[in-house]
Amino acid sequence: MKIDVPEKWDKEYDVVVVGWGSAGTAAAVTAHDQGAKVLILEKMANGGGNSSICGGNIIVPKGKEFLEYLETLSFKTTEREILETFAEEALKNGDWIRQMGADVQVFRPLEVAYPTMIAGAGFPHVRGAENVVKYNIKGTPEEGKPSQRLWKFLSGLVAKRGIQVLTSAPAQELVPNARGEIVGVIAQREGKRISVKARRGVILTCGGYENDPWMKWDYLPVKPLHFLGTPGNSGDGIRMAQKIGADLWHMTRLACLIGFKAPEFEAAFWVAFLSEGFLFVDKYGRRFVNEAGIEIHEYYKELSHFDIEKMEYPRIPLWAIFDEQTRKRGPLSRGTAGYNRDLYSWSLDNSAEIGKGWIQQGKTVTELASKISMESKVLEETLARFNHLCKAGKDEDFGRPREDLRALEAPFYAIQLWPSLINTQGGPRRDKESRVLYPDGKPIPRLYAAGELGSIWGFLYQGACNIGEALVFGRIAGKNAAAEKPWA
Amino acid sequence: MRIVMAGTVLAERNFIVNANPDRVWRLIGKVIFSVLPGMESMEILDENNFRSLLRVKMMGFEWVLKLRGEMVDISPPESFSVRLLLEGLGGLVKADQKVSLAMTPAENGKTSVACRAATEDMGFLQRVFLSGQARAFARETFEAIERRLKELA
Repeated sequence: MKIDVPEKWDKEYDVVVVGWGSAGTAAAVTAHDQGAKVLILEKMANGGGNSSICGGNIIVPKGKEFLEYLETLSFKTTEREILETFAEEALKNGDWIRQMGADVQVFRPLEVAYPTMIAGAGFPHVRGAENVVKYNIKGTPEEGKPSQRLWKFLSGLVAKRGIQVLTSAPAQELVPNARGEIVGVIAQREGKRISVKARRGVILTCGGYENDPWMKWDYLPVKPLHFLGTPGNSGDGIRMAQKIGADLWHMTRLACLIGFKAPEFEAAFWVAFLSEGFLFVDKYGRRFVNEAGIEIHEYYKELSHFDIEKMEYPRIPLWAIFDEQTRKRGPLSRGTAGYNRDLYSWSLDNSAEIGKGWIQQGKTVTELASKISMESKVLEETLARFNHLCKAGKDEDFGRPREDLRALEAPFYAIQLWPSLINTQGGPRRDKESRVLYPDGKPIPRLYAAGELGSIWGFLYQGACNIGEALVFGRIAGKNAAAEKPWA
Repeated sequence: MRIVMAGTVLAERNFIVNANPDRVWRLIGKVIFSVLPGMESMEILDENNFRSLLRVKMMGFEWVLKLRGEMVDISPPESFSVRLLLEGLGGLVKADQKVSLAMTPAENGKTSVACRAATEDMGFLQRVFLSGQARAFARETFEAIERRLKELA
């Protein structure tokens, strides 16, 4: 489809950044500091995207051997030179943050919850894993969660420089000229179409497609998938890039947890258990996994089993069954991260959620099974077997470690859980210079991308790397876009 | 490793676990939280801070105290401390304790675990009436940590 270059532009800048999260900020700040006049277009009423509601950790690897780890995780889905660039530049993330006026602290979490947020590598057996070190912006709990501190720092950089941000202004189209150079962006603001000229370049940093049901259905390996992050990520950058002929990559990749979906909330709630007293069962009441052994970003891999005969995913949704001690221990959704964090305060003993019917309660297994429409005999057998294994101190069925086992006692509770996206990783293919590429590998002139939109994560994902990558390739994109010669 | 702490020592305990320090380090966080008796409504404020309610028996009655904990001086896999601030009974009970654990390699791949609890701040009346309870609580917690670690090692 042809997009005409406007004869008269509504606004004119050197560099236009589409999307205001970590990548957008790093790109805009770097371009600005190189002398470019920068505009950020943000679809939502506020910036932050997933960066302001995620775990807030940033990879700063210990050494260059981190590259070996990256190569194994990528499973040959990302070129070595791109991984090399990431490994080298991620080493500088901490220094960049310090140069920008904040400080960092090593992430050393309380490893008390299931799923467990861990300090080190998600795949510790892989060569080079010891180089994974996560940091976050230094601060106290009173100064906010790590991601709140991150966003306060990043948005402050934009404010301090007076970089112009247009919020509630979704970008809709990229504007190529006759030579195929991307020379501007068409956006929507207050019901009007606005054209923004980009004299030097356009940088796409507008996230993935967690909130686009059709793209998810088409590309991702489990169905349905809810999302934990921002509803603003609905594939806009992908559609814009496709329209001008960009290649796509990593479209089937995702970072995925489990979450509870309440109909009155757009996003799902991130759920974690603060005690060992819980187990997962499929929709028929059968246990299927070592619940304590799933890598926190790779839950979908355990849920993607498809039953050909029944033509269904028997583990979607799954049910988590837990007991009174676990209920009282703490809230199932802790507000560590997720879009709902600021919208709802989960009760500390989960009683409010029982009252709402989000959590089902039964004095006996039979009563609980009846409430969740499950065959009680199967659930009774599953629970009896689980308790037997806990008391024996050995999970012969799925290998859950002894320290993570505790037999459940009545009364029992159940919550329905769904695979829930932290983010998708796919989008326009890019090179080590953050340039967006055509299918033949040639760069699309003056178009750059960074962040979760077409990220480098093509197979397995290491936690804290999406933010780390957003900063790295955001900086590169900002530097390169600002260095382009103005086309007019 | 020797733990150096200011304040009045409430309890100390040393024991050997039949596992290497890395394994003990991986177990210790979850073990502490699973053996602390009566901990409820735990709220994790960030990766190193939590608050919860603590149901304890004192002077023949059950009381609910507010507990705020902070993981400090974390040095994997050797040592860490948890600073515990306890408050209850309308402000009558206030205590600031630091529980420290140090893990050092012992012979044959085992680990020596040194536990120590000390008060950082306790008023005169509370020292008179509650230090015995605090000592007993710390002692019982260390015993439970030892028992559970040895079970799992």
